Amino acid sequence: MIAKKHIPHYMMVLPFMLLFAVFFLYPIASGFFYSFHDWNATTTARFVGIDNYTRIITSRDFKKAMWNLATYIVITVPLGIFVAFCLALLVDSFKGTWSNIFRSAFFMPVVLPAFLAATVWRWIYTPNFGLLNMLLGWFGLPSVSFLNDTGSMLYALIAVDVWVSAGFNMVIILAGLKNIPTDVYEAARLDGASPLQQVRYVTVPMLYPVLFFVATYGVISALQVFDVPWLLTGSSFASYGGRSNALLFPVMDMMGRGFGALKFGQASAYGFILTAIIILFTAAMFVFRRKGYDQ
Amino acid sequence: MTIDAIAEAPATRSIALTISPWAVLKWVVAICVAIVAVFPIWWMINVVFSEPGTPVSLNPRLYPTSFSAGFGKIMMIMRETDYLKAYYVSITYSLLTIVGVLLIGSMAAFEFALFNFPGKRLMFAVVMLSLMVPTAVTIIPTYLLTAEIGWLNTMQGLVVPGLASAFGLFMLIQFMKTLPKEMLEAARLDGASHFQLYRYIALPLSKNALVTLAILTFMKTWGNFIWPLIVAPNPELYTVGQVVGLFNSPYSHQTVDVVMTANLLAALPPLVFFLIFQRKIVEGIAMSGTKG
Repeated sequence: MIAKKHIPHYMMVLPFMLLFAVFFLYPIASGFFYSFHDWNATTTARFVGIDNYTRIITSRDFKKAMWNLATYIVITVPLGIFVAFCLALLVDSFKGTWSNIFRSAFFMPVVLPAFLAATVWRWIYTPNFGLLNMLLGWFGLPSVSFLNDTGSMLYALIAVDVWVSAGFNMVIILAGLKNIPTDVYEAARLDGASPLQQVRYVTVPMLYPVLFFVATYGVISALQVFDVPWLLTGSSFASYGGRSNALLFPVMDMMGRGFGALKFGQASAYGFILTAIIILFTAAMFVFRRKGYDQ
Repeated sequence: MTIDAIAEAPATRSIALTISPWAVLKWVVAICVAIVAVFPIWWMINVVFSEPGTPVSLNPRLYPTSFSAGFGKIMMIMRETDYLKAYYVSITYSLLTIVGVLLIGSMAAFEFALFNFPGKRLMFAVVMLSLMVPTAVTIIPTYLLTAEIGWLNTMQGLVVPGLASAFGLFMLIQFMKTLPKEMLEAARLDGASHFQLYRYIALPLSKNALVTLAILTFMKTWGNFIWPLIVAPNPELYTVGQVVGLFNSPYSHQTVDVVMTANLLAALPPLVFFLIFQRKIVEGIAMSGTKG
């Protein structure tokens, strides 16, 4: 009797839960299974224990990708949030129409698909006749091949990434700014706080949860960076990562092992290594946040 | 600017006057940043709408100089490449994904937000946990499964695996929680069936959230690069993203004009969408951020 009453509910959630189980839960389980097997998608899978995991961790590409990733995250995430925060304050300080116009302008890059941002910037970075080198030329500086010089490649990527993500984070921070009651600022002003002090002692603490979200989300998506470096380096499954692998990142390495070398067992294992890193990172950030509160 | 500030807040007149150097600086910075943000897009348009082959020193492409040349390039791409077909594939892919995500998402959200039934908490918890799992883990096994079913190079292979969007479900649940329960109760007393409650009460009242989710889903699907790249490697099913990738590949031998035309055509739908639905997009992103 009771069960019958609930049937309509189950019917309504069934399509979602079914697709979710088939295309999300099952792949995770099967990926876990394959990660312990040597498999090229055509022959039968051969059990190899943790061989895939040890091979990845000891490989040179993995170390290079992780090193690139660490450098990339350490610069991109704080820089991106700082820029987004400043942009949000800037937009917030304007009134009415101008506030909207600047918000839309700063947000424009977010609208472009990442693959397009990457391809447009690839041309901006082109040696000799690219936009950026044209600017350098006006100042009498020599042409730089930003995407071929191992010293500048990572920074070229970071610039594109900040350009793309700043507007997105700005919008989230702006929403947070609107939630701060104005009388808090009023009180700070009466206490003689300068505008900078107001930002430091009112805005930042009040925005803490929003900034935390932006930082966590930023780190998680940065860990999975793929489209932009893939296209900036003109990668394909046969050759990827750019000159001396200066723009090789873990997801690129994973996709290369899967679709380039057809080592799907290794590629699956790679996914789990990445997940483990992401979970550790997120957990660390939450612990860090708890500590920040306790103080 | 200072005049505006005075008009806005007469009481703080002295402050507005003393910070006026700041106000000038603020405008300069805002305009510079706006230029940096918009210029690459503007430049892309200028490269398309200018005579090809003019050296940069003579025409730095700071503004459009030849509309006929631009339209000529667009026509050339439409005629001589499979760009139109890619457009068709991308639009179909996006539309089917939007319809699917909205339909099955709203059905499930309706139940999760407004009713109680055994197993609901467990299901909800599992779906929400999945928000934390990176795409990187699932993408290869999902690809292998899609291949096993025989869906490689098919439209259903592109669309179906992405339909159970945990993000979309979460967003719709948050919204549907705010629906007035009395209205549902009243309709039920009038003899409406369970499905009718969903169809004639919950759906119309959730229009705002559904539109926002549709727009965000469009942006995401149109910009999805990695999934079509692996699931539909057959040229018959190239999406706009893949075609743009081909134009930009080191082996393409296309001139910058043609490549930028291909890029511009890919950018057009999201840009137009943005100009029309600006507020919805910004609100949708802000909502996902502050509630998440």
